[in-house]
Amino acid sequence: METKNLHSVAALFDTPEKIINAANKVKDAGYKKFDVNTPYPVHGMDKAMGLGQSKIGWITLFFGFSGAIFIFLFMGWTMAMNYPYVVGGKPFFSFPAFIPITFEVTVLSGSIATIVGMLAVFFNLPSLNDPIQDSDYLKQVSTDKFGILIQAANEKFDKEKVVEFLKSLGASTIEYIYEPEKEEFKILQPKFMVFLALVAILTSGGTYVTLNKLMYVIPFNWMDRQSKSNPQSETTFFHDGFAMRMPVKGTIAKGFMPYPYQGQAQPNEVLSNPTLPTKEILELGQRKFLTFCSPCHGNYADGNSRLRGQFPPGPTLHSDKIIGYSDGMIYNIITNGQNAMPSYAYQIPREQRWAIIDYIRVLQRAQNPKPSDFQAISQLKKESGKNVVN
Amino acid sequence: MSSTEIGYIKRDLPDKLKTLGVILLAAGAVLGLLGFLIDPQRAVFSYLAAFLFLVSIGIGSLFLVALEYAAGADWSTPFRRVSEFFSAVIPFLLLLIIPLLFNMHNLFSWTHKNIVDGSELLKGKTSYLNIPFFVARSIGVIFIWWIFYFFIIKNSRMQDTSKDQALTGKNIKISSGFMPVFALSITVIAFDWLMSLEPSWFSTIFGVYFFAGTIWCALAALTLTVVLLNENGFLHSKITTDHYYTLGVLMFAFTAFWGYIAFSQYLLTWYADIPDETIWFMHRWVGGWKVISILIVLTHFVVPFFYLLSYKSKTNAKKLKFIAVWIMCSHFLDIYWMVMPSMNLNGFQYSFSWMDIVYPVAAVGFVILLFKSLSKKYNLLPVGDPKLKRGLDFHL
Amino acid sequence: MNIDYTKELALVEGNPRLADIDELISRPLTQPVTKKYYIALSISGTALLIGVYSLWLTLYYGIGMWGNNVPVGWAFDITNFVFWIGIGHAGTLISAILFLLRQRWRTGIARFAEAMTIFAVMTAGIFPVIHTGRPWLAGYLIPYPNQHLLWPNFISPLLWDVFAVSTYFTVSLLFWYMGLIPDFAILRDRTVSKVKKTIYSVFSLGWRHSNRHWRHYEKVYMILAGLATPLVLSVHTIVSFDFAVSLIPGWHTTIFPPYFVAGAIYSGFAMVMTVLIFVRKIFDMENLITLNHLERMAKVMLLTSSMVAYSYLMEFFIAWYSQVPSEQYDFWARVVGPYRWAWYFMISCNFLIPQLIWFKKIRRSVPILFIISICANIGMWFERFVIIVQSLSRDFLPSSWHMFTPTLVDFGVLTGSFGLFFTLVLLFAKTLPVVSMVETKSVLEGSQPHHYNDDHNGEVGAGHANITAGVGAALNGGKNGN
Repeated sequence: METKNLHSVAALFDTPEKIINAANKVKDAGYKKFDVNTPYPVHGMDKAMGLGQSKIGWITLFFGFSGAIFIFLFMGWTMAMNYPYVVGGKPFFSFPAFIPITFEVTVLSGSIATIVGMLAVFFNLPSLNDPIQDSDYLKQVSTDKFGILIQAANEKFDKEKVVEFLKSLGASTIEYIYEPEKEEFKILQPKFMVFLALVAILTSGGTYVTLNKLMYVIPFNWMDRQSKSNPQSETTFFHDGFAMRMPVKGTIAKGFMPYPYQGQAQPNEVLSNPTLPTKEILELGQRKFLTFCSPCHGNYADGNSRLRGQFPPGPTLHSDKIIGYSDGMIYNIITNGQNAMPSYAYQIPREQRWAIIDYIRVLQRAQNPKPSDFQAISQLKKESGKNVVN
Repeated sequence: MSSTEIGYIKRDLPDKLKTLGVILLAAGAVLGLLGFLIDPQRAVFSYLAAFLFLVSIGIGSLFLVALEYAAGADWSTPFRRVSEFFSAVIPFLLLLIIPLLFNMHNLFSWTHKNIVDGSELLKGKTSYLNIPFFVARSIGVIFIWWIFYFFIIKNSRMQDTSKDQALTGKNIKISSGFMPVFALSITVIAFDWLMSLEPSWFSTIFGVYFFAGTIWCALAALTLTVVLLNENGFLHSKITTDHYYTLGVLMFAFTAFWGYIAFSQYLLTWYADIPDETIWFMHRWVGGWKVISILIVLTHFVVPFFYLLSYKSKTNAKKLKFIAVWIMCSHFLDIYWMVMPSMNLNGFQYSFSWMDIVYPVAAVGFVILLFKSLSKKYNLLPVGDPKLKRGLDFHL
Repeated sequence: MNIDYTKELALVEGNPRLADIDELISRPLTQPVTKKYYIALSISGTALLIGVYSLWLTLYYGIGMWGNNVPVGWAFDITNFVFWIGIGHAGTLISAILFLLRQRWRTGIARFAEAMTIFAVMTAGIFPVIHTGRPWLAGYLIPYPNQHLLWPNFISPLLWDVFAVSTYFTVSLLFWYMGLIPDFAILRDRTVSKVKKTIYSVFSLGWRHSNRHWRHYEKVYMILAGLATPLVLSVHTIVSFDFAVSLIPGWHTTIFPPYFVAGAIYSGFAMVMTVLIFVRKIFDMENLITLNHLERMAKVMLLTSSMVAYSYLMEFFIAWYSQVPSEQYDFWARVVGPYRWAWYFMISCNFLIPQLIWFKKIRRSVPILFIISICANIGMWFERFVIIVQSLSRDFLPSSWHMFTPTLVDFGVLTGSFGLFFTLVLLFAKTLPVVSMVETKSVLEGSQPHHYNDDHNGEVGAGHANITAGVGAALNGGKNGN
């Protein structure tokens, strides 16, 4: 036994009064490194041991307020700056509405920091290899005894004297606590490596299964399967086998306008362009022209098809014949189709067809400008001081 | 257990207090009378604020007394007498309410027949908001308070000489019965004298809101008095910083409670944004009131909250005195803020009047005088109370 | 009436020694499991399985399995959520608020109540998640920079709920665990089994009962109590905001926050009482969880029940006073409308029956208290049902009025929530000390030094310190001072 290093001398007392008294005396005798172990906090012990007020509250204060400031600014930033959108007519920066979450985060960060700070920083826990672990002394103070422990590291420590001193204070038992033998923990133990491998396999496997299998299983599969029929599919529910239903005979779609000129070559005497070539209309026409017409007729309506022979190229729209067409005629062609060109009635609403025609007229004019157009352009150039892009 | 055994020696408070009380009360009363002659409307509004401040001190203190009995608390027994003295305001409220009852036309728009007839909303409320019922309620509530005050205080004072433990038991029963009565009656007072100033407005939490401020103010009055008395040796040497600390914690708790209730009321009104409800806050956000509204958030919550957070300010006598005075002032400001904007509902511009100061000064003088005269007659410590020893020995 | 007011009521009866406390409290952990326990566990387990099956049906087929339908979009799901969150409030109330109020009688019931808080919040947490229909997408409630560049809506009370409930759960768990650390150390030092010792050692973190630790420990307990007190208020306040910020008649009242908190404490105390009445009987802990404890809990129930009743009254009065027709109708419909039976349940269980507690005989009769506590739980469930379902079923437009009819799956999920809660409670009662050993020891008669009182007392204290120093010096000279 004597070969071991003595860590401390521990003494047990029977009553709280005795331990308070003992702590007082030990403190007064000038020992610095001593501790009192009691089954529960004994009132007045801090004073007897000469300990001041705990400073741990500062941790709470600091982390609590840091959390509060962070989350408040964060909410302000997300709601008013990063992605502002109106909810319930409230202002983007809704001060009162931010208070509840600010409060919750204050409490959360404050209490987590306090507990973690207390255990890890103040107590240096978890630590299972303190010398008094597993000693009879600790078992006794765990239950009903009150212990005091004077460390050998004290300056004026003298084993015999300390024992005598503690006995004089009324100690019922004295115990010697020895430093534990040093143990070495190797990191490259086979058990640990197996554990690491297991963790790696479980994590990667779990991720794989979740992302590639589980997410495709009902009900996690993003409502992939629902008790409804998809368009164009079969069903046994209806006797004709079609999932899609025909509208009731005589149904008229909302906004439907009959087009009675199908098949007529020249409906120009009844159809006239209802739109005015304003900037908005022309821009709309340009967009729709580029979407629907330009693949075959070319971006400038010059027949320079973008399909490069995969489909018969459309004719140029700058021929005299087409320039001579009335608006109603072109409208009729877009609506019904002509030769290889199919009908666009379902893709392009009425107003947009007229807008396209307006835009075609612009393109035609641009190919055959009049002198007055040049004058107008140079006038514009002067006014803006810039080059007008045509 | 005799008083010598407890270690309490009764001493009279200095006569300076009496002089101070008389001066404040007399000056306040004379100027206040003048105010009623010059501008009765302004005077009655200012008077109402001071009156409700007195209600706060009186009924709040009686509540603290009853709470101590009902909860079986012992730490506050050594200064229960202080609260008892403050609650002696209650019987006088019956007298002090008279100027208000005679000036109801200046206070309440719902007393004007032409206004009520012009509003469907007010017409629907006439079965509650009519003068006879209103007067009956006000008088009745104060009268009920008086009854409870009378019995609780009588038993407490009797115990000083008889040392009869059964009296404590009796008071516990009376106090428990007082609790529901108190909750309802203070709500009636808050609804009648504050909410009905703007008769179209309503808020279910309003009674709780007034309650929170009331108890807060009564606690501050108690703390201030206890610290002052104890410093000058009128109480007991065993009253330590641990007692102070508990008082400080309670003030802190009620600061937070008031903040919680006030925020709940504001947030729910703000969020739902119904014109019927927001109107009350709108009146307190225009015409110069905005500054006072923000000031209330600061003085009534932010400052006391952070001030009382530290251990030192809850145990240091000087700091406690400061915050107690602060709290009473901000509670008065709160009442003022609830009362005054209703004076002229159509775009009331905030303007200060000397009358706003006169009535509260008179009220303070009155309380000091009352306290002084009662303390001469009765012990400052409930020397016969069986819990007193436990209370004096109280430690954290 | 022969109560001696000069003394406090004894907190622990039978005058046990310190060691007896350890023995008594840790006995259920070491004794073999009895048949009764298995029966109880199988009942709660069955209920849990019913819940799991109902939940599976809900997730597989969708929320359509429930009775919810426009306009009653919230029904059993949110009712259960508010109910269980409410149950959870008692634990923190007992451990934090009563701690701050220096009500030392809390020691006997605090641990159990805290555990019930955690289990109740766990149970409650399920409901808002499943009522979204696709709970596996709940991760989007967390504000993280996701690929959709979307943040949660911080202005919504529903998101406040997410923060409030998760904070509440975390802090309650920490608080509970912190209280358990010294008890784990006691168990570690008592046990002879090696496996158990390892487990207890890990959880006790190597606690040494050192006073240099106790002083911080006590301070932290105080701080956490201080933080948990407003937290517990805020949680149910925010739950009430879910309703009160809206315009629905019956939902939009400013008294909702304190009203909900009072109701939560009421139901929580009722549940704690229900369970503790069994626990003290089964585990022979009648000396630790005494009749005085039950009486005081009953008083708290009476207080909170009265606060709830006050709120009912205010709601009704202001509904009339406000002269808003839809509000007036809604409250009138509670009394005479199609859901009046729920309202009658609520009023009688939450207001009328608890009035019995005014009588001392009833306060001290365990069977009657048990019945009252069961009634309180039923009443509080119906209160939430009335608030949620009744208000939604009668909103502004009579054309959209619609009744809610629960389905079997609704009841299954409700049963399952009870199953989960009681299964966890049963497992807890068998694996961890149900009463705090350390705290019980510290309030035993004679467990604190007598002369302590003089220590703090200004001048006397200073004098005492001098004397102590003097005696200390004398003792160093070899005299025995005892």
